[in-house]
Amino acid sequence: MNDKKHYTMLSGYVDGELTPEQVVEFERHLADDPELRKELDTFRMLKEVTGAVKYTDIPESVWQGYWESLYRKLERGTGWILLSISVILFLGIGAYCLCMDFFLNADTPILLKIAVGTGILGLIVLLVSVIRERLFAYNRDRYKEVTR
Amino acid sequence: MFLFPVYKTEETTLSDNELVSWIASRKKKAMKALVERYKKRAYYLALGMVGNTDEAYDISQEAFIRVFKSAHTFDPNQQFFPWFYSILRNLCLNCLQRRQNRESRDVALDDCEYLLEADSNPETAVIQKEQVQRIRKALMRLDPDDREIIAMKHFRDCSYDEIAGLLKIQKGTVMSRLYYARKKLAKLLIDDE
Repeated sequence: MNDKKHYTMLSGYVDGELTPEQVVEFERHLADDPELRKELDTFRMLKEVTGAVKYTDIPESVWQGYWESLYRKLERGTGWILLSISVILFLGIGAYCLCMDFFLNADTPILLKIAVGTGILGLIVLLVSVIRERLFAYNRDRYKEVTR
Repeated sequence: MFLFPVYKTEETTLSDNELVSWIASRKKKAMKALVERYKKRAYYLALGMVGNTDEAYDISQEAFIRVFKSAHTFDPNQQFFPWFYSILRNLCLNCLQRRQNRESRDVALDDCEYLLEADSNPETAVIQKEQVQRIRKALMRLDPDDREIIAMKHFRDCSYDEIAGLLKIQKGTVMSRLYYARKKLAKLLIDDE
């Protein structure tokens, strides 16, 4: 158990995050544990290897346009919601007009009307959602020029 | 009598929490100030998780949009950035999940654009390039949780306190998670040699 503690302290030791007391305790243990020294060497090597690489920088011009492009997305999000609602309403009204005889028929049970009505509405919402998703996917597809 | 509070202070001097409360009443300037303050940090943290520059850029923007939409739910007694990071992190995990599903459907497309480049030094460029490839490959094979903490420490040089604050865990847990993540990364690199 105590050994496990010293092994997990290894990261803190390599990163200089241990308190002076912990450092003394760790180094005392390190002197008696060759396996721990081996791991310490591995961690130091890992730090050195990863220290030799860095993140790809984004050009400053892209950072400058970050807010504008974000704000456009924000506005378009609202636009898409409104457009979707509008299309759903149009298609809903259209479907109602097409099936008016069915809905206005007094002999048709009310439950059946509700079932058919919600089914049609569900289909319209799904249709609009799929079209939206396709449009988004197409705009973001980096492989759209690739012929399969 | 004003219906809304009047802010005469420059947005850049306001604290994060003041900006968020201002955003809750849909103030564009406050949104912009917050974005300018954290855009790079958000982007690089997302990059550390998803390992793809385009996706990291989109995710960081989407996280800000979510903040604007849910600013009214923000508890002013808590710190802004850990709250923001939890949104960003969830978006990264969703992205990785989608990528996994997509890759299992369409293995031919190698979607994994990598995240690192070496310092350009013509004499050592070839060796560096190979080294970078190995690190990239090993990083992308780690679990998202391990990759996240490795990226925070090794590529963003976050302190343990910062990592603990962002991940909402104890400092001791940071140390132990880093230990196991590093062990896995070292093993992957050694196995690849």
